[in-house]
Amino acid sequence: MNNVAIIVPVVLVISVVLVRLLYPRKNSSNTADSGTQGIPVRAMIEEGLPAPKHFQYFRQIRQALSSADAEYLLRMAPKSAAKQALRERRAVAQGFLKGLHEDFSNLSKLGRVIASLSPEISHKQEAERLKLTVKFQILYAAVWMRLYTGSLPMEQLERLTGLVSRLSARMDEAMTEISAQSARNMAETLGG
Amino acid sequence: MNLLENILSWSTLTFLMILCAFILARKVYQFLPLFAIYCGVLLISTLVVWSVYKVSGFNSRFSYFAYWSSVLVNALARSLAIVELCRYGLRAYQGIWALIWRVLAILSIFLLTHAAVDAWGQPKRFAIYAMTLDRDLAFASIIVVVALLLLRNYYGIALEPLQRAVTLGICIICAVDVIGNTIFRNIFTGYLYSWFLTTQKALWPQLDSQVHHVNDVWSTVHLLFFMLSVGVWCVALRKPLTARQKKPVLLPSEVYRELSPAINLRLASFNTRMVELLKP
Repeated sequence: MNNVAIIVPVVLVISVVLVRLLYPRKNSSNTADSGTQGIPVRAMIEEGLPAPKHFQYFRQIRQALSSADAEYLLRMAPKSAAKQALRERRAVAQGFLKGLHEDFSNLSKLGRVIASLSPEISHKQEAERLKLTVKFQILYAAVWMRLYTGSLPMEQLERLTGLVSRLSARMDEAMTEISAQSARNMAETLGG
Repeated sequence: MNLLENILSWSTLTFLMILCAFILARKVYQFLPLFAIYCGVLLISTLVVWSVYKVSGFNSRFSYFAYWSSVLVNALARSLAIVELCRYGLRAYQGIWALIWRVLAILSIFLLTHAAVDAWGQPKRFAIYAMTLDRDLAFASIIVVVALLLLRNYYGIALEPLQRAVTLGICIICAVDVIGNTIFRNIFTGYLYSWFLTTQKALWPQLDSQVHHVNDVWSTVHLLFFMLSVGVWCVALRKPLTARQKKPVLLPSEVYRELSPAINLRLASFNTRMVELLKP
């Protein structure tokens, strides 16, 4: 490890990463009650998970992006205006995909927060979640590229959003169940 | 020592004294004892090396050994301060601490082994040996700190402002040490290597000015960045410290046992769907 041409850039890059890690853009608080990364874990356990924010707008977006609309545009509107409209529709779809990413991230983040506040965790589970998150990031980039190039059918996007919604609903159920169980345990403990 | 080095040395000593005074005033030794010891070691080693320079001269053999020994002692104290940074605030999170300390320990063992092997292969000259070891320890420190910050970020556990400043200061010192020691080690093992060989004594008068020039440049750069780090610590300690974070209230074990596998399962099926999306 004596090559100056390698060492110097490596250390400089690591230093930049380090400063970014030390001083992130968003300030996150992490008291026990507010949970970590700004997620109010205890409130979530008591009230259940919030519904995914972006899924609810899927119908409107799908309608706006329907192929019938696109065909109509290409037939009736001037070429430049139709192209402009299609570009904008693609941008809307990308924004929507970003929203889905946010929904996914929130659920994944919740898993990490629960892990951080647990007295014992499974290394296997943590490694698996990390692997899944990395895989998702790669797949998301690939799907985003396909959407960008206009080769992603909307039906597939719909299936994806459906999955997010079902996931959230089941998490909500699980949270309620666990909340009730925790309350029962606590009552038993206090009752001796 | 030239005038600039004299000024920098005096300033460094003054900064270190101010830092130690802050550490005593803010009672940092109560919650970061190893960092407090590191600062004490820095002050004492600076005073000792300086006294040796005064007594036996800047270019004496004794000064040479005193300086390089102090470099190694400082590196050791710094490593202990980093261990403390890793522990600080994370031990209360019992579950992830059990995971994080293992990850960091494996990483440290790997990096320290690399440092030992790298130093072992160096020419048998104390300065080159110490320079290589110091460089590799500094590099290991940066990697361990980056790994620590990545893990803390991943689990959303931020550092307190003082710990952040301590980390930043240590990393400035380490980064400059890695870059500087790599450059100067290459110079000393390259065209200035004759300076260390008694068989090449005839060349010494010719090399004298070059060796001193290299030493002067390195000392100036090192002292400047060292003062910057000490300055960062002094700024962080200038005001009374805010109340430290309370211990987190942990969730019942069942929450993790029930939810974590469910979350992972769902994330996995989400990825499966994403793969399906990409199929032609």
